[in-house]
Amino acid sequence: MKKLSVITCAITLCIAALSPLRSDAQWIKPMYFNVDWQFNAPVSNDYADVASGWGMNFETGYYVIPHLAVGVYFSYHTNHKYVGEQVLQLSNTSSLYTDQQHSIFQMPFGALLKYSIVKGKHWEPYLTMKVGAMYAQMNSYTQVVKFYDNSWGFNMQPEAGVTFYPMPHKRCGIHLAIYYNFSSNKNKTLTYDIDCYNNIGFHLGVAF
Amino acid sequence: MKKAIPFFLVALTLTACEKEPNLNQLSSDLIVYTDYDQKCDFGNYATFAIPDSILVLSNSSKPIYYSADDPRTIAIIGAFTSEMEQRGFVQTDDTQNADLGVQVSYVKNTNTIVSYATSNPYWWYGYGYYWPCSYWNPYYWGWGPYYGYPITYSYTVGSLIAEIVAIKDADATTKKLPVVWTAYMAGIMSSNQLDLTRTLSGIYQAFEQSPYIAAQ
Repeated sequence: MKKLSVITCAITLCIAALSPLRSDAQWIKPMYFNVDWQFNAPVSNDYADVASGWGMNFETGYYVIPHLAVGVYFSYHTNHKYVGEQVLQLSNTSSLYTDQQHSIFQMPFGALLKYSIVKGKHWEPYLTMKVGAMYAQMNSYTQVVKFYDNSWGFNMQPEAGVTFYPMPHKRCGIHLAIYYNFSSNKNKTLTYDIDCYNNIGFHLGVAF
Repeated sequence: MKKAIPFFLVALTLTACEKEPNLNQLSSDLIVYTDYDQKCDFGNYATFAIPDSILVLSNSSKPIYYSADDPRTIAIIGAFTSEMEQRGFVQTDDTQNADLGVQVSYVKNTNTIVSYATSNPYWWYGYGYYWPCSYWNPYYWGWGPYYGYPITYSYTVGSLIAEIVAIKDADATTKKLPVVWTAYMAGIMSSNQLDLTRTLSGIYQAFEQSPYIAAQ
């Protein structure tokens, strides 16, 4: 029964993807590009959890069928947090008194599958699933030295968004999307640990 | 596609990947690092000696000191003496027979590399001159053993290094003196000069985060 439901869902999705919709006449180019400013908020760690707009998102895809595109993505983001003076117990014997600027740099990239729900004349809502790898750097800046740790992990980003084409014949539009970003990276710096990264945020940019 | 590539490249170029935090937000306060020999029981010691001058680490191969009558020396040595006495130790001028020795160095204009590893048992190198063991005992020549694990630091310009040497536990066989406590303080300069207020704050902080330094 469960297997049947999965097959039914898959067939429904395929039919939906292949079905000509009202505005399929607007679908001209098989390729698309997004270049976005990114706003990101870490949600699973308090190391550098201040939301920031220090990031960008780039993606490109190819519509293999009118509603379904495959492509690649690349983005990066930095979040910071100031931590006041404190004594860190680095080991059984060593202690460090300092204030710090915590910083996390994330750079996910990989492949994506994009499903355009409606390819309207002006509006194009869609759902995307991105899967790939992520490079993360966990930094602690002090007045004289930077402590850091790098790691690689698995990355997954579900995303929902819409592209607005003010002039459909030019296929140059405005892109807005919300996303959730999970990565399996593990980092350790000084006395701090991060086990997996979770973020929410949005993209705002151009599509063409 | 060809039109899009330059756009991507321009966007990547205009947006530097990693954004560094605002380091000006970091206070001009101190960084104080301390470490000690866990096998050392400071309760076994009662007296300490401290030189009346501060070694200035520079690129010179000859020793340079802040002399005993320099107001900075008086204040800094006074702070160490006061802290040691508050922990119950009694000061003595007899360097060879004191239980502990406190040596203080100021890194003025050299990037000092401090390193110790079992495979490379030379604790200090990277600059011309450091405290000789013979200051405490003319029959001794080396420092060690240390904290029991390899360790490397890079000390930057404008920092203060202090160490406590266990003269009482000198190894007569190897002719080495054990260093049982080390403190490193950075951020003690302002306007390219040693800032005495910050330096003294650093000394007090170093002892505050080292509660194990206490005589019985």
